[in-house]
Amino acid sequence: MNNAWFVYMGFAAGLVFIGIYCLLTMKNVIKLFIGIEIISKGISLGLLATGFVKKNTLLAQSLVITFIVVEVCLVATALALIINIYRHTKSLDVRKLTKLKG
Amino acid sequence: MIGHILLLSGLAIFSVLAILSKDLIKSAISLAVASLLLGILFFQMQAPYAGVFEISVVAGLITVLFMLTIALTKAEGDVRESKLARTIFPLFFVVFILIDVFVMKGLLQKVPALPEAAEQGTFGDVLWKQRTFDLVGQLAVILAGVFAVLALFRKRDKDE
Repeated sequence: MNNAWFVYMGFAAGLVFIGIYCLLTMKNVIKLFIGIEIISKGISLGLLATGFVKKNTLLAQSLVITFIVVEVCLVATALALIINIYRHTKSLDVRKLTKLKG
Repeated sequence: MIGHILLLSGLAIFSVLAILSKDLIKSAISLAVASLLLGILFFQMQAPYAGVFEISVVAGLITVLFMLTIALTKAEGDVRESKLARTIFPLFFVVFILIDVFVMKGLLQKVPALPEAAEQGTFGDVLWKQRTFDLVGQLAVILAGVFAVLALFRKRDKDE
């Protein structure tokens, strides 16, 4: 049981790492949100894999569904915010946001 | 198990493609494929409801939202990502995987996780009876999201 859990959690941690690397190095705001999406994929994989190896799938499933709902609301709001940012700055560069005034 | 490992590898590869590809549309599509693979994995882990949610909502709706945003902003190639970040990614990734392999096994024995129990009832029972408060929270989050999007796109009043 432990070996399978180890593999799943290893991959989940890898996904979280990919997302965090994207957040730390990329400059495009949409790319940053793709990074956040990848992190959330890692988290939901970890949640469900733990339920699967511990034979507690139903509870893990309900947690994953709650997480997906939260994720969708986050992305919808964030993308609306990105469109507004683009209208203000005419660019998707995250560094230009530090120059906003008022 | 081998099938699961193949799916997981595909998931990791498409996630890497999503962050490294220069074209935003290709990134969004890679993300959708990664979600699809994760959904298939959920189905294989005997979690069909989570799989359906993952495929329909994350691979479908979120990809559409990303595409819409990319089309509305039309700023492809506007932002230059640093080449260094792309070239040194494999190095960092390999280092992380090595640390992961050595640390994760010890960590898994120490961190408390879900209880190991034989489950009774159906998914509906668990969701409605055990996680009722989560459902209320989900409703609140959906409402918050809807109002946030409405607030962000409201028109200016004439007297402003």
